[in-house]
Parts: sequence; structure tokens; C-alpha cells
Amino acid sequence: MKIINKSGQEEMIGFVMIVILVAVILLVFIGFSLRTSQTQDIESYEVESFIQASLQHTTECRDNFGYLSVDKLIFECMNGGECSDGENACEVLSNSLGEITREAWRIENRPVEGYRLEVLLEGEPLIPEMFEGNESNNYKGAVQDFSKGGNSIQIFFRAYY
Amino acid sequence: MDKLGQVKIQQMAFMLLAVTLFFVLVGLFVLVIRFAGIGDAATALEEKNALLLTTKIANSPEFSCGDVYGTGSTNCVDGDKVMALIQNIEGYAGFWGNGVSNIEIKKIYPNEETNVCTIGNYPDCNTIRIISGEVKGFSAENFVSLCRKESEEGEPYDKCEIAKILISYDENNK
Repeated sequence: MKIINKSGQEEMIGFVMIVILVAVILLVFIGFSLRTSQTQDIESYEVESFIQASLQHTTECRDNFGYLSVDKLIFECMNGGECSDGENACEVLSNSLGEITREAWRIENRPVEGYRLEVLLEGEPLIPEMFEGNESNNYKGAVQDFSKGGNSIQIFFRAYY
Repeated sequence: MDKLGQVKIQQMAFMLLAVTLFFVLVGLFVLVIRFAGIGDAATALEEKNALLLTTKIANSPEFSCGDVYGTGSTNCVDGDKVMALIQNIEGYAGFWGNGVSNIEIKKIYPNEETNVCTIGNYPDCNTIRIISGEVKGFSAENFVSLCRKESEEGEPYDKCEIAKILISYDENNK
């Protein structure tokens, strides 16, 4: 009877060890799967296209050479410039981007719950962040980087679903 | 002794059964996790294909701004060129693939009531209909910059507005 009990105990320990080993492998597998799917969510061609199209938009701000596009207005704002009518370049930039984003990502008519747009100069906000609606864990986003005169500018956009 | 041997065999059989059952359950769990994302992946792929088709059409020579607006950027559609194209659209039947049944470019900012562009009202309009066929199969839309040449006090300048290119296509007719 003593021999049977001991053998049973050894097998139980073996079984528990297998369970623990398989559980650890499963955890690693699940962790890897979740991390991969999050990266896929972040990719979005639609958001990338939106940022690119927005940068080409012609604003109401003009300098001596003509009306400025959003990308040129960003540089004007970065240099603390003004439009020919005396308006602050950063204010015009903020208003233009705000209106474009509001019309392009209408919260009431779409599955979009909210959005966030940031224009950063060397990691610091160039204009106030634009946020509307609600934030959620399900989002599509993109980043556009460009630089001029050694200054790095980043545009972040996220649409929450 | 015989009885002890029988008990041992029985014990081993139970143990083997338990281990096999355990691995079967683990395998099922792994399969469920692995195939749970297949539906999402298919939808994402479909969306990606649709968006790539819109990008491909927007960047084709018949639509693209090229270097005319000094940008040379992607997703830039030359409105003037597209208006000239729709005057001769009969010659482009099936040019973008037989599956493409509808192509439309709609300005989204500034937001106005739908006003279809003709040679008479361009550029005071907001929707350019390139192909107005039956809407069937998949529909895809993507952001583009719709550019044209404008003039102020006799001076020409480039005017780009944000728009969406909308496409309907039927995969079976490709």
C-alpha cells in the first residue's frame, strides 16, 4: 500500500509539472499573439492618406509668394511668422487643421468615436492638441515625420472606433 | 503481486489518458486562439486591398497631379485634368478594370451641399463623377488632395482642397 501511494504521488508531481510547463508556453504564445495584433491595428492607410492630403491643403494664409499649404504654414508657425493680413500663422494653422479634421472625421455620422491630432516640434506641441469625442482601445493611427532647417516635425493622428 | 501489477497498469492507463486529454484540450485552445483572428485578418486585408485600389487609381497618370502643383506628392488628384478626362470618358471604358463600376471624387472641406461638377459650373461644385455606374460589390474610399489652378488679380496660384475618392468595384468582374 505504501509503494502504491508513493508511485501515485510521483505521477501527480509529474503531471503538475507538465501542466505548469504547458501553461507557461501558452502564456508566451498568447502574449506574442496579442502583441502582433496590436501592431496591425496601428497601421492604417486611410489615416496616412488623411495626413498627406491635409498637408497639401491650401490655407487662407498668404505670404509674398501666394497662399500657403498646411505644410508650409507649419514652417511659418515654427518661425513665429504672420500671414500677410497680420494673422498669427499658428492660429491660422490650428483653425485650418481643426476644421479639416472635424469635417473629415465626423463623429456623428461614422463609426468613429473620437480623434486626436498633434503637431509636434522636437517632441513639444507646436499648436494645441486637437481632441474630440471619446478615446478607446480600438484605434487607427499614423505618424508623419518631416524636417526643415534641422528641426524635426511630427504629426500624430489617431481615430478611435 | 498480480493485483499490485494490475493496479499499476490501471494507474498508468489513467495517467496516459489524463495527459492525452490535457494535450488535446491545450491543442484545441491554441487552435481557437490562432483561428479567432482569421475573420478580422480577412476584413483587414479586404480593407487594405480596397484602399490600395483607391490609391492606385488616385496616383494613376490620368488623375495624379504629377509635378504641376510643385508637390510631387502621393494622393494628389489634379481636378482640371479629371474634368478634361470626363469629357472623353467613353474612351476609358474598362480602363481601370472591368470590376470598377463607380468612381467619384467628393470635396469634404469646405463642406457644401452636393453639387455635381460639369464644365459649366467647375470649380464651383464639390463632386466630380468620373464613372457613374451601378454601385455593386465592394466600396472603398480614401482621402486625397484635389488641386486646381486658380487666379487672383491675374496672378495664378495652386489651390488644393481635401477630398475623398470613392470607388465601387466587383471582384468577380475583374
